[in-house]
Amino acid sequence: MSNHEKKIEYTKKELPKGFLKYGLPLLLIGIISVVLAYQFDPMRASFNNIIALLVVVSVGMGAIFLVALEHIAGAVWSVPFRRIAEHQGFIFLATPLLAIPIIFNMHDIFEWTHNSVVLNDPILYQKSPYLNTEFFIARSVGVFVLMTFFLFVYLRNSTKQDTTHSQKTTKINALISAPFMVFFAIGITLIAIDYAMSLEPHWFSTIFGVYYFAGTFATAMAVLTLITLSLKSNGNLLKEINRNHYYSMGGLMFAFTAFWMYMAFSQYMLIWYANIPEETFWFLPRMENGWEYLSIALILIKFIIPFGLLLNRNSKMNPSRLKLASFWIIGAHIYDMYWLVMPSYNRMSGTEGPVFGWIELSFIALSAGIILVFYYLAARNKNHIPIGDPKLNRALDFHI
Amino acid sequence: MSKLYSVAALFNTPDDIMHAAAKVADAGYEKYDVNTPYPVHGMDGAMKLKSSKMGYYTIAIGLTCMSLMLFFMYWVYNIDYPQVIGGKPLFPLPAFVPIMFEITVLTGAVLTVAVMLIFYFKFPNNAHPLHDSGYMKAVSSDKFGINIEAEDSNFDLDKVKAFLSSLGAYKVDEIYFDEEEANTKHKILDTKFVFGMFLIAGFTSLSVYLHMNKVLYMPPFDWMLVQHKVTSQDKSDFFNNGISSREPVKGTVARGFMPYLFTDDPEGAAENLVNPYVADEENIALGKRKYLTYCSPCHGDLGKGDSRLKGQFPNGPTVHSDKVKSWTDGHIYHVISEGQNVMPGYKKTVTRKERWAIVNYVRTLQRALDAKEEDMQ
Amino acid sequence: MSTIDYTKNEVNVHGNRSLKEIDDLIVAPLDRIPDKRFFIAIGFTSTLLLIGVIGVALSLYYGTGLWGNNNPVGWALPIVNFVFWVGIGHAGTLISAILFLLRQRWRNGIARFAEAMTIFAVITALIFPIIHTGRPWVAAVYLLPYPNQHDIWVNFNSPLLWDVFAVSTYFTVSLVFWYVGLIPDFAVLRDRATGKIKKVIYSIFSLGWRFSNRHWQHYEMTYLILAGLATPLVLSVHTIVSFDFAVSILPGWHTTIFPPYFVAGAIFSGFAMVQNSLIVIRKVFDMNDLIPLKTLETMNKIILLTGTMVGYAYSMEFFIAWYSGSQPEYFTFVNRAFGPYSWAYWTMFSCNVFIPQLFWFKKIRTSIIPMFIIAIFVNVGMWFERFVIVITSLSRDFLPSSWAYYRPTITDFAILLGSFGLFFTLTLLFTRFLPSIAIAEIKAVSEGAQPSHHGGEDHE
Repeated sequence: MSNHEKKIEYTKKELPKGFLKYGLPLLLIGIISVVLAYQFDPMRASFNNIIALLVVVSVGMGAIFLVALEHIAGAVWSVPFRRIAEHQGFIFLATPLLAIPIIFNMHDIFEWTHNSVVLNDPILYQKSPYLNTEFFIARSVGVFVLMTFFLFVYLRNSTKQDTTHSQKTTKINALISAPFMVFFAIGITLIAIDYAMSLEPHWFSTIFGVYYFAGTFATAMAVLTLITLSLKSNGNLLKEINRNHYYSMGGLMFAFTAFWMYMAFSQYMLIWYANIPEETFWFLPRMENGWEYLSIALILIKFIIPFGLLLNRNSKMNPSRLKLASFWIIGAHIYDMYWLVMPSYNRMSGTEGPVFGWIELSFIALSAGIILVFYYLAARNKNHIPIGDPKLNRALDFHI
Repeated sequence: MSKLYSVAALFNTPDDIMHAAAKVADAGYEKYDVNTPYPVHGMDGAMKLKSSKMGYYTIAIGLTCMSLMLFFMYWVYNIDYPQVIGGKPLFPLPAFVPIMFEITVLTGAVLTVAVMLIFYFKFPNNAHPLHDSGYMKAVSSDKFGINIEAEDSNFDLDKVKAFLSSLGAYKVDEIYFDEEEANTKHKILDTKFVFGMFLIAGFTSLSVYLHMNKVLYMPPFDWMLVQHKVTSQDKSDFFNNGISSREPVKGTVARGFMPYLFTDDPEGAAENLVNPYVADEENIALGKRKYLTYCSPCHGDLGKGDSRLKGQFPNGPTVHSDKVKSWTDGHIYHVISEGQNVMPGYKKTVTRKERWAIVNYVRTLQRALDAKEEDMQ
Repeated sequence: MSTIDYTKNEVNVHGNRSLKEIDDLIVAPLDRIPDKRFFIAIGFTSTLLLIGVIGVALSLYYGTGLWGNNNPVGWALPIVNFVFWVGIGHAGTLISAILFLLRQRWRNGIARFAEAMTIFAVITALIFPIIHTGRPWVAAVYLLPYPNQHDIWVNFNSPLLWDVFAVSTYFTVSLVFWYVGLIPDFAVLRDRATGKIKKVIYSIFSLGWRFSNRHWQHYEMTYLILAGLATPLVLSVHTIVSFDFAVSILPGWHTTIFPPYFVAGAIFSGFAMVQNSLIVIRKVFDMNDLIPLKTLETMNKIILLTGTMVGYAYSMEFFIAWYSGSQPEYFTFVNRAFGPYSWAYWTMFSCNVFIPQLFWFKKIRTSIIPMFIIAIFVNVGMWFERFVIVITSLSRDFLPSSWAYYRPTITDFAILLGSFGLFFTLTLLFTRFLPSIAIAEIKAVSEGAQPSHHGGEDHE
């Protein structure tokens, strides 16, 4: 195993054309249809906007987390993909584009912004030190600024290392990842509580942040896998990257699919069993008016199918199977967010049952466009491999 | 009688053994094995083994047992003894999930290991020819060995030895085994075995006897028979009369019971008591049930005095005699309540309503067994 | 040690021994008569065990009235100890299964030991619910769904029954996992054994293992499957233990974060206990090379990580208690922090959240005595966490007229001490009588043990 003197041959290459070819039209269609959606039905649009935001946060913030996780755990196998994750983290910078419309339409979305309701409701009144517009915006901005700061630190350190090959950078990255983890834990919990849980301001669940995190991790990993596979087939990555590396990606997606089910079951089970009205009312709308089918389908879509897709050892290494599983996991996360958010739309707008139409599709298109275009912007003309990382050679020699 | 089992070659490094295993596989040998002190990476490929299928056993076993457990819990809650517990439905699926999961893991893990050890490896097997050989001692510590069995279709002793030496083995041995020793059958009537079984039987009987008859009646295992409190039939020094509980105040009436005014006065009862219940279908059914429980052991199922006692206790007389037929309902009621001759009174065990129902049933029996023309119409 | 060379793989086995020397080193404690240090250690632990045995015997004879349990605190120290000890076991499975799946090679040196600790911890834990039934000799009959003429079945709805299934599954699977790992090692011992009796015993336990590669192939697959099954199992066990509390409606017990929070706490305290034991064992049996300082440092990092996760759960609980607007919920948490049991709460908080933060410093992370002391604090803290959860919520229930202050009795403490005695006695005996390091596993990762090119494996 003493081949760490081996020279790595890496030549920079243009990104695959697909990023712009699909990304720009999706983004344009997305923007136009979203503007129309806000004209046509602002309330439904703003709820969909929340879904899009939660998905994009998962992809971007999750990627920053993956970078930090590698640093703090000292992981080796993931080194060749770290630059991709760093560029993927760049997608997080798009979140203000999605968050600003929400903040302008808060009155449509959040019941706790209605002063008359809050003043007549002792529980909401008691929560108002936390649930108020100013603090809400401050929290969002705070999380955004902190995460962006760490993202740029990681990106700068990593690109600098391409030329310096310094071991010290790796050590510094490990050090700053520790505080990052703390901020990330707080940040993702705040996002989950603010943008998803406070849609039903009376409801509370301590596990909610972890629930969102489970989906986030799997989704970020799925996007990372998809980008890796497309870059690999385009020849942007090193030839040494092989099935052994894919196995780890597939394994992590598999593990977090199971972890999500664990979180979801824990939350449902405890609320179902204790049967306290203060908590059960959150699940009730999801069990009637057609939502019951979507709830059962959620278990199938978000757990059983991806679990089955990735259960076999060989399927975790098979690129085409991984591609299918990754697309499925991303889709399942969007579905999960829809399931999380839209029953509140029913309540606020007085409609019944799940709705699906061009407004929902336009926000999905917008998210997809944002992900592709922002990745393109971040990664264009850059190295896709952290060629200066001292662990790279060991990573390429990695076997299961 | 010794017989050749295999030719075994020892190598020094993992690289050598990989090379040798690949060559042996290429040479077309099938009954050969590589023995290494730890799993060497890539050996499956070198030996051209198919990948292990253990995972399919785990999934099949786990899912089967999970379904069986789910069905069992369904059967218990919905078929065998339906019971609502904690306000949960009779088929509380979320509450079943933890147990289903545990059963899947338990059976999946334990039975997969069992399948591997018993069906794949044919373990336990301490009589294999390789055991106790120098070869085995070497490969269990730090050498890497390959052995080609004599049963292989391509086997030729000299050729195999030369072949293995040419692969770089530092030592090539022939391994023999004693056919008789390997095939020794154990006799079931072996003295030691029989003696052992007797010993176990004796020990089991003794311990079961001691356990069931002695240990269980000693504290603290005595089912809480001995308690530091005064129970209803105990003697007690607390009260002057030595009885542990107080007598009820005179004239106390238990709930649901009425005081009976005609004790020792059957004539009074016969004259004054009137059956307050109409002999409808429901009342007679109740009477029949109570009659079969309390009366039929002595009077017989149909009241003919043909009971199942078979002389162990004086048979009750028939209720179809003219005497009983001529009694009023009140008189029969009195006999049921207070008893007569050796018959005890039943007023403490059978409620007032039930006693009247029995009277109605007795009347029904009397009429049924002595039916008249007009009853048939 | 101070600077890490990131270009090189970490060394897993120090001293660069040959395979033969690895055998000798690991088997050494089994062959020689142990020295004074061993007898001092086992004398101490068996004294503790004896105290516990007396406590249990008295409780069985006179009844559970000897304990402090009384209305409204019906669940007290026995449950606290049960949850504590089950938690200790989790670190072992984490090391042996989860780190195996994550291919963390540093685990190989301590995996066997950690698995053994899992088994002993679960044995210790099982004692508590069983003696808590008051009449343990009939407990087995009531806890299992066996066919009987009354058609009386166990209550499949009850988290206590899930516990029976979970903990017994956990024990069985851990035992199987441990034994499967031990089979090749028994074969090594068999082939080294000189005495006749030893040889027979080892032969029986080795089942006739022949180091065949046709076997290794299925063996490795099965080991992977067992690790794959043990991973969700270990999560499920403490999840189900947390369900004991969380499915109720008692404030402070009913909160949805309990499952992951219990699991994190279990791993936290388990690692602290494994770290403590490893330090003692490497001292008593001279195993400094096989259990390098690097392993202990990594464990300290995991303690720090899980400690922070536990801190997250504490804060989340407190925040949601306020955020929920539910008065009993909020009262419970304020009562925990500032009520009659505030001493326990702050012991818990400082031991679990503040003190492990010292592990941020590399100096503390890599010196034996400070890390030993910190790990003891962690265990104290985690014990108090269960104490706080069980006692504070029960002692201030919905009915203020029945509020009471719970005090454990001397019998409670005797049994608690005894549980430590049992656990450490078993651990010491294990190290003395079985190979405490997986011989085959450590050989497979030692220098030059694998062929330089991987024949047959496909490269893309």
